[in-house]
Amino acid sequence: MSHSLLALVVALPLLAAFLPPLLPGAIRRLLGPLALLLVAALGVYLWRITLIEPVSLALGDFRPPLGVVFYVDSVAALFVLAVALVTLLLWPWRGDTSENLDRKQSLTLVLAAACGGLAVSGDLFNVYVFYELAAVAGYGLAAGGGTAAARVATFRYLILGSLGSLLALLGITLIYFRAGTLNLAHLADLAPQTLHDPFGLAAFFLILLGLGVKAELFLVNTWAPEIYATAEARVSALLAGLVSKLALLVLARLLVLVFPLPEARGALLILGMLGMLTGEFAAFRARDIKRMLAWSSIGQLGAAFIAFSIPGSLGLAAGLAIALHHLLVKPALFLLAERWGGGLARLAGAARRSPFGAALFALFALSLIGVPPLPGFWAKYLLLSGLAAQPDNLYLLAGLVVLVTTVVEAVYLFRVIGMLHGRDAAHSEKPQNMALDMTLPASTLAGSGAFAALLLAVALAAPWLTAPLARMALQMNDSAAYVARVLPATATSEATK
Amino acid sequence: MNALDILLALSALMPPAALLFGRWRGYAWLAGMVLTGQIILLAGCDLPLAAGMNLEIFGRSVGWRLDAFGRFFALITLGVALASTVYMGGEWGERHAAGGHSPRWLHGALAGNVLAMLLLLSSQDLIAFFIGWELTSWAGFLLMAQGGEKALRAALRYVPYAMSGAMAVLGGLALTLAWTGTLDLAALTGIMPTLDNTKLALLLALFGMGFSIKMGLLPFHLWQAPAYAEAAGAGTAFLGAISARMGLFALALLLVKLMTLTRVADLAFIEGLFTARDLLAWVAALTIVLPTFTALKQNDARYLLAWHGIGQGGYMLLGIVIGDATGSAGGLLHVFNYATYQAALVLAVFAVMHRTGTADLNSLGGLVTRMPLTFLVMLLGIIGLAGLPPMNGFVSKWLVYRSLMLDGRPLLFLMTVIGTLGTILSVYKLIHNTFLGQLRAEHEQIREAPWSMTLPMLALVILAFVTGAAPGLALSWVAEAQAALGLPVLAYTLGGIESPRGNLDMLWIVGVLFAGFGIGALLFYGAGGRSKRVHQLDNYAGGHFLSADVRYHYSDHFYAGLMHRIGPFYRSSFTRLESAVAAATDLAASLMQVWYRQTVPALTLLVAAVLGLSWMIWK
Amino acid sequence: MSEFALLTLLIGALGLVALGIGGLVLSRNLFRVVLALALAEAGANLLLVLVGFRQSAWGAIAPIIESGRDAASLTPSMVDPIPQALVLTAIVIGVGVQALALSLAIRAYGAYGTLDMNALRARMETDIDSAAGTQPARCQHAPAGGRPLPPISAGARRADTPGTPA
Repeated sequence: MSHSLLALVVALPLLAAFLPPLLPGAIRRLLGPLALLLVAALGVYLWRITLIEPVSLALGDFRPPLGVVFYVDSVAALFVLAVALVTLLLWPWRGDTSENLDRKQSLTLVLAAACGGLAVSGDLFNVYVFYELAAVAGYGLAAGGGTAAARVATFRYLILGSLGSLLALLGITLIYFRAGTLNLAHLADLAPQTLHDPFGLAAFFLILLGLGVKAELFLVNTWAPEIYATAEARVSALLAGLVSKLALLVLARLLVLVFPLPEARGALLILGMLGMLTGEFAAFRARDIKRMLAWSSIGQLGAAFIAFSIPGSLGLAAGLAIALHHLLVKPALFLLAERWGGGLARLAGAARRSPFGAALFALFALSLIGVPPLPGFWAKYLLLSGLAAQPDNLYLLAGLVVLVTTVVEAVYLFRVIGMLHGRDAAHSEKPQNMALDMTLPASTLAGSGAFAALLLAVALAAPWLTAPLARMALQMNDSAAYVARVLPATATSEATK
Repeated sequence: MNALDILLALSALMPPAALLFGRWRGYAWLAGMVLTGQIILLAGCDLPLAAGMNLEIFGRSVGWRLDAFGRFFALITLGVALASTVYMGGEWGERHAAGGHSPRWLHGALAGNVLAMLLLLSSQDLIAFFIGWELTSWAGFLLMAQGGEKALRAALRYVPYAMSGAMAVLGGLALTLAWTGTLDLAALTGIMPTLDNTKLALLLALFGMGFSIKMGLLPFHLWQAPAYAEAAGAGTAFLGAISARMGLFALALLLVKLMTLTRVADLAFIEGLFTARDLLAWVAALTIVLPTFTALKQNDARYLLAWHGIGQGGYMLLGIVIGDATGSAGGLLHVFNYATYQAALVLAVFAVMHRTGTADLNSLGGLVTRMPLTFLVMLLGIIGLAGLPPMNGFVSKWLVYRSLMLDGRPLLFLMTVIGTLGTILSVYKLIHNTFLGQLRAEHEQIREAPWSMTLPMLALVILAFVTGAAPGLALSWVAEAQAALGLPVLAYTLGGIESPRGNLDMLWIVGVLFAGFGIGALLFYGAGGRSKRVHQLDNYAGGHFLSADVRYHYSDHFYAGLMHRIGPFYRSSFTRLESAVAAATDLAASLMQVWYRQTVPALTLLVAAVLGLSWMIWK
Repeated sequence: MSEFALLTLLIGALGLVALGIGGLVLSRNLFRVVLALALAEAGANLLLVLVGFRQSAWGAIAPIIESGRDAASLTPSMVDPIPQALVLTAIVIGVGVQALALSLAIRAYGAYGTLDMNALRARMETDIDSAAGTQPARCQHAPAGGRPLPPISAGARRADTPGTPA
């Protein structure tokens, strides 16, 4: 099959992760970025062909629903591209020691591979495996901050994450018990008879809670502020920007294909609303930027959950827009927080030291709030117009929550901007501030500048990007096409047990 | 490329140009020329004009189209921007830059404001409108934040207000789309009045709240005075003169064009006790009275003027809500008139600040001989602000009074008169404490402000005087705007209005006034015209020479008696409301943080999982 | 009889999960937490294996084709092989995660000298706050938003600070 290239999405980063110890130093450092570049190129190629028609690959030619299936529609392809690009932009170029750097790079690549796998996986158990892979890589990276606090935070994260995986596994077991298959296409086919009942919903809820840990879903997101406050900024950026989006994508796919039920949507909507409320309000009282960003990303992901709970392709378009926008903005903000991560009071006058950094922060903040014509506005517009079009009053309430929390978000983000442009720390009466250098290093500026360039490019190209976005949402919403592509008619009858 | 394209393209070029060349001395003149060109272009073109740029986003077209109503506001915007830019270009700008502020950002913010407002004023659909609205808000924020630490704090206080307003508008936009299926303003004109009362009331509440915040209507007015007053000088003039009027523009558009006033008058609350229109009229009336008397208390000239700005907005809205030909013409004309004299007054106050270094009314006085031109500007300006002939403020207020009386609303009329009384009292305080009374010793060497500052001020008051003597000049724009908005059109003449129930001819009034002055002068000079000039510090009391450091004629705690009477009404209930909201948010935030600081997250997860599962299973 | 055995096993598996989660929630010692996690995972894995018996009679055999036995004869009494494959993966992942958890616990013990979850959390919070240069979260001296609150008395503040471990 011509699409066997698909397997490279996972294979290349994994290869690059585990090959380096066998190679000499010069090549070793380049292997990872090279692999990611290749994956990015592959993502572009896949996106272009899948916009016309999705592709699928049965690994080892075991026909579905028995074998392992990769399914790539334009959404998955775009996420493959995003995984490669974002990982590349957040690539750890420097480490304390060579060994430490090797470890970091390997873990980052494993994370990239797992994320790519989550994007393209066509069956539930593979999702579980890749999810766990991403989780373990995430634990390793989060603990890599090296401080004792980072280790405690990671331990707590790990316990919550493992509990989540356990719940997800129980949910998968339930689904297997009822439907006898884990292939998503096959499940989509069988779900109306076997899974659209309380047991199926219970299974969905368990998986929602389980995968929700990574997606910072309300109830299972208490790890986020601790981890983001202790881990390195790049790791926080990866976890908040990338991993959460992939978990979200998997949940959205599950919702669309297997559980397109009002109860499932209701759970997503309510948890999303609570996430938005708690996240944004908690951020309002945050005293340091890292935790503020952590809570803000909880709120933003809540918005994405709300968006995915809107039935139809309009909701998917809104959810994708929010997720992709957050994918661009949050990592960049975490990069800026690498040096500016301390308490808000320390930031006084930092704009004088790094005017470009302050301008970038303002740009990202404005986009996060949703000021037109930045992309954040279009995402918010899609979300709100989708919510307003629903007949159910709960959706209108969600719209109100989105509006109110946006005001809160604007207040705390602008508090930071005010701090940055406020009186210079050198003139402040507290002398200890002078010891801290608030000038951003060039690498940070380059990294978040690249994100800013992408953001502005999207803002300028917005009129031309709406059609692909709508197309992606339509493709994602078309579960019949998914089933037909993965399970051609002959396979369906034979596979039923 | 038509005139609107050129207009918008020029405006879009100016902010980057300002950021690049703003430090260059000639930039202000360049910008001034561009603005003048834009004014000529705009005044001369045929309307309505649709911009060539038309985007298609998410299946909705986003476009820009300027009609006469938008042009009326656009002309004022450009004119005020011109005056501010010239003012900034001279000595004032150099002093500002020397104080550690960036002239590039100030010019850039001003140019950004102009662009944002033009986009807003020429929007063809609600998305374009919202884009313009948000850009106006944030460009305004940028301009407000330019004046140092205090200005930054005031601007940050504006953020929650601006954002609440924007979100209310966005919510209204989403509901409008859901209920009508379109966002095109022209299409909405026909559809929106057909919505049922509940939906219409909700839309009115959302949009109305958003627009009132920008306009500074009660009870959303608290942000405005500090934010406008603390901004950098020319910025204050621009913000005070036109920025808040964008809210009025939007409200007029909503009430008159989209919803229609008759439909708004249908929305009755509490068993028909009052209608939405009455409510708006009373909010406008209270906005006239309360902030005007708050202005009376101010001891900083900038704050005094900024508080007046809030109050004057009430007249404009009141006129438009009444909605007949005279009332709405008065309301709209007041936008223009107010912009002329408010900008002049603010610039005059900053000219005084430029020379003396303070705007504190308790530490100024007697500057009349030192800064005669500035005094003249302020004198004419306050006559306009108080609404007395021969300045243009009289015409617009007269139109509003007249329509209130003809419409049979004596109580509202009474409110406007009380408001005007407060205005007269407070502007007297302004000019008295600044220019009259004893000259302070430290101000003895003060010179008149430089031409770069007096020229724009004088131009503005001359404009205010000319359009006061011949209001027909401005009323032609107003009548066009009325027609474009769908209001009854006022029948005007060069000197005022002509109607079966009474005429107004300002040419006559001004003529009589000056004839009176002339007679007085004739009498004086006919009687010999003897006068003797003494030095301002050459003073005696009881035969003693009073040296300059003796304070014998000064004011402190102006209007103490009046404040004692009305003080109890000002127990800052709005400020308390504001802090209550802030405290509630803070409390909610603390409660939310408790969730994220729990020791055993697994426990809540377990409880929630059990609850969720039982909900899923037993539902 | 076979039904009874299946039921027993099912109840046992669910019981293991419940025990494990209960242990996760109730124990404060890091080591016990890891043990509880292992217990719960074992239960979940057992459950997954049991699902494979769904449609077969008790006594079904593993689907391994030996000589002298053709695939067709196996079908009716064969257990579902997929869950077994899945469980193998899950066990491997679980072991890896537990090892990681234990190593983290050891490092945390090395740094803070305690395995008590509450104490560790309090220490971690203190570390985060001091690294960021902010006041501890419960201190009311400088709430975010610049709105000063009335100061609280020194005695009340001391009682309010999280207890530091020995």
